[in-house]
Amino acid sequence: MFIVTRQYSGRESAREIAVWDPLVRLIHWSLALTILLNGAFLDAESKSHEWVGYIALALVGLRLVWALIGPKHARFSAFPPNPVRAINHIRSMFEGDRTIFISHNPIGAMMVYNIWLSVIAIGVTGYMMTTISFFGVEWVEEAHEVIFGWLIFSVMLHVAGVLFDTWRTGVNLVRAMVNGRKNIPEWHDVI
Amino acid sequence: MKLRLWPGKTKERRATILAGLILLQALCALFFIGDVIEDFRENGHLDNPHLLLETVAAAALIAGVVFLMIELRGLLSRMSDMQIGLEIAHGHLAEVIESFFDEWNLTIAERDVAIMILKGLDNDTIAQVRNTASGTVRAQATNIYSKSATDGRAQFISVFVEELMAGDISSGNGAGPASMSQSTKKPAEKDRPAL
Repeated sequence: MFIVTRQYSGRESAREIAVWDPLVRLIHWSLALTILLNGAFLDAESKSHEWVGYIALALVGLRLVWALIGPKHARFSAFPPNPVRAINHIRSMFEGDRTIFISHNPIGAMMVYNIWLSVIAIGVTGYMMTTISFFGVEWVEEAHEVIFGWLIFSVMLHVAGVLFDTWRTGVNLVRAMVNGRKNIPEWHDVI
Repeated sequence: MKLRLWPGKTKERRATILAGLILLQALCALFFIGDVIEDFRENGHLDNPHLLLETVAAAALIAGVVFLMIELRGLLSRMSDMQIGLEIAHGHLAEVIESFFDEWNLTIAERDVAIMILKGLDNDTIAQVRNTASGTVRAQATNIYSKSATDGRAQFISVFVEELMAGDISSGNGAGPASMSQSTKKPAEKDRPAL
């Protein structure tokens, strides 16, 4: 009996949707790795710190290009940077709306742009520190550090948001970023 | 049960490899661009051949990355088309099976047994899975064969296979993917007398 019921319930009560393509996933985890390396392990004065920073910049650049020419769930149009949508999403969330967004949800989308912009800002200020005209300039160094602090704060918020949304909607988002598939319980509306 | 209609696995691996190559090549491009910028900062001229060559290499790598990205997008969209086709086929098969069971007035227990027969389980295994005596399963199987007017396991399974082979799966729905309508065209071409 159990083979049949398992097969049946697997097909009827949940749907698997391929959301994150391999390039999105690779870039995501590589970017996480570069942030971890530069934040926790590499000497800030070292050459490798610089290179890892440039790699992070390249990863974001690659992701931005992919958001222009990639498949639909990876595109800007799937998660437009729209604060109004994010606020509406929070409101409807409190009203008990359990709609699932296939790509990023509106508030997650804001976090995505926030993290990308932070990484770009850190990369640019980091590069400026290596140039002759900005070497030793105080505000550049301060900006580099302050934005890095903001990035770490954002990453923590991001992780908390992922855990919260996994708990709220029942879609395991960490697994989705590993194997690319979202397992959508059937009672949800999907956008 | 081992033979699965799932050609997506190798494609998935290809997509992952392609994504990895894109990433690696982008990092190589980054290295060359960094080198070019560094050299340019040092002497400020693009006229020496070494720098020129590096610039060309960087440009070529970037073009390669973009080209691979477009390839990857094509592969991914083919994969999702195939997935849609498979889901339609799965849905149809389930519908076909259900309609036959309804037509034969199978009881709920018999439907369970019949599905397991279709999945290739033998009577002893079915008895184990259902926690019944194998004699019960044999009786139920006999009922199923008589209700479906078949003379045994092989003929019973072939009822469904025949249904799948005879029908034009995509035509009823109108939403069949291109791959399916192609596969239905092919036999017609074969039927043409060879000249």
